[in-house]
Amino acid sequence: MSGIIVFSSKIKYINDALPLAYLLKEKEEIIGVSCYEKNLEEIANNGFDVFYYSETEILNDQWYEILINIANEIKPKYLIAPSSKDNIEILARIASKLGYPMVTDVSNLEKTNDTLIFHKPVLGGRATAIFKIQKDINLAITVPLRKFKYEAISTKAKILKIEKIPVSQFQIIGKEEKKKSAVKIEEADIVIGVGRGFKAKEDLKLAFDLAEVLNAQVGCSRPIAADYKWLPDDVWIGISNKSIRPKLYIAVGISGAPQHVSSVTDSKVIVAINNDKNAPIFKYADYCIVADLYQFLPILTEKLRKFKKS
Amino acid sequence: MNIAVFIKASLNLNLIKVESSGIINTEETPLTISEYDKNALEEGIRIKEKLGGKVAIFSALTYGPITKRQADYERIIREALAMGADEAHIILDEKLINATTFEASLALAHLTKKVGMFDIYITGEASMDTSSYQFPSRLSSLLNIPVVTFVRKTDIQGKDILLYRDLEEEIQIIKAKLPVIISVTGEINQPRLPTLKQILQSKTKPIFKYNLTDIDIPKINLGREIKILPVSRKNIFIEGKNLEEVSEKLIDYLFKEGVVKL
Repeated sequence: MSGIIVFSSKIKYINDALPLAYLLKEKEEIIGVSCYEKNLEEIANNGFDVFYYSETEILNDQWYEILINIANEIKPKYLIAPSSKDNIEILARIASKLGYPMVTDVSNLEKTNDTLIFHKPVLGGRATAIFKIQKDINLAITVPLRKFKYEAISTKAKILKIEKIPVSQFQIIGKEEKKKSAVKIEEADIVIGVGRGFKAKEDLKLAFDLAEVLNAQVGCSRPIAADYKWLPDDVWIGISNKSIRPKLYIAVGISGAPQHVSSVTDSKVIVAINNDKNAPIFKYADYCIVADLYQFLPILTEKLRKFKKS
Repeated sequence: MNIAVFIKASLNLNLIKVESSGIINTEETPLTISEYDKNALEEGIRIKEKLGGKVAIFSALTYGPITKRQADYERIIREALAMGADEAHIILDEKLINATTFEASLALAHLTKKVGMFDIYITGEASMDTSSYQFPSRLSSLLNIPVVTFVRKTDIQGKDILLYRDLEEEIQIIKAKLPVIISVTGEINQPRLPTLKQILQSKTKPIFKYNLTDIDIPKINLGREIKILPVSRKNIFIEGKNLEEVSEKLIDYLFKEGVVKL
């Protein structure tokens, strides 16, 4: 029986790829490949038919060798992985080796009798590319983290330890943990993004005040994290760092660089507040307000506070 | 140090032409060097300036029609040469128009092999227009050279190279042997702007042109149909006699959208 390989180098992301595997599944077995965690059995029995695990975390080139061996045996119809940076690197290398086309960051899937239609954001979030692919073509696919809703499906998985771990060509000589904030902006329903329109770190209080009334989290554009270091990297919204998909995104004093826009394009509603009426961000917003944030934010916050009380 | 840098001529995201029907007209949208590929080139030039050697640019045109695009494309390649690269190898072939990373990586891997061996192969983490992120990995598989992606700092020490990878939760420091393929993030450096003198000098630097037959790829089959549709937003500008009124209107819209609960 042919199979669908669902892979993640970090097991905590693996369920993010499972919903798409079930959307694509016809008769195939779902084969998980990841590393060990103490509740491995529970994860494996929630949707997988077979689960290969490595006892420890290993490097990308080792995963590549292991997955090639598994793929040569199974001849998978699809290879699916959550879009973590490591997973994309590994999967694209395997796709190339196996001669599979690959679609990264699939945001939607439609099926017809003989074709699959994938949607993927392109042009820095300004457009959606629609890929129409014949069903008989083997494919590699990555799925943005938390994009598709995961519901556990009870299975009885055959769990197999990967015995032979190949030698890596690389050596890890260090790790620096990134400074973390207490919040996870990827999981927030409302996110307020702050940008270069703020003149000083203390002024961010205006955004945090608004966040408090709305029960929102505060994220930022590249200069605020990378250049000024006013906020930690893990709330920086941008293509090489973080994508968000809240119900409401409010961009304050953000001009709208492509990396930033493409990372917020999945938001349900986008509000932009900027004093420059020509700021590119307005093209990607539902509600546009041309105003000085220093004047507008306190008024908006105050109005919302009054609504809350009444 | 022999350095290969891969550059994509991407659609210029600031000059996207949208038809009155709402469809994006890619043919009328000008090209530009994909943002992170500029970082890749800057890193290549910095390594050359430190350790000596040569920087060769590799690129394939994937937006057509070639007759209309060629001048714009060569302008971009000249711009890259003006930044400090020594020569460029480019593929112009109608069969590569609308190619995805799958076909473009195959063509560029063939071309690189034909031109020679390099110590380090550098590219941006992803192109800014199609953002497939696959190119460095596909090149690795086709050239059989190890790949390290999302690098935000490099440090060459003899035959070894230290690479600082910018991952979701950590910076991972990897020691690799040359040759290696790397993809770099936008944070690795600030790409330089060429001086007028460099722009003039770039006119004497060679651009070698190839088609697919020249690099021994007789046939490329674009087996997929791809359409690009713009994402539409409401673009409602909220105005009022004062900011209080603007605030009230905004709050009203947000309640109607059902995205705010107080």
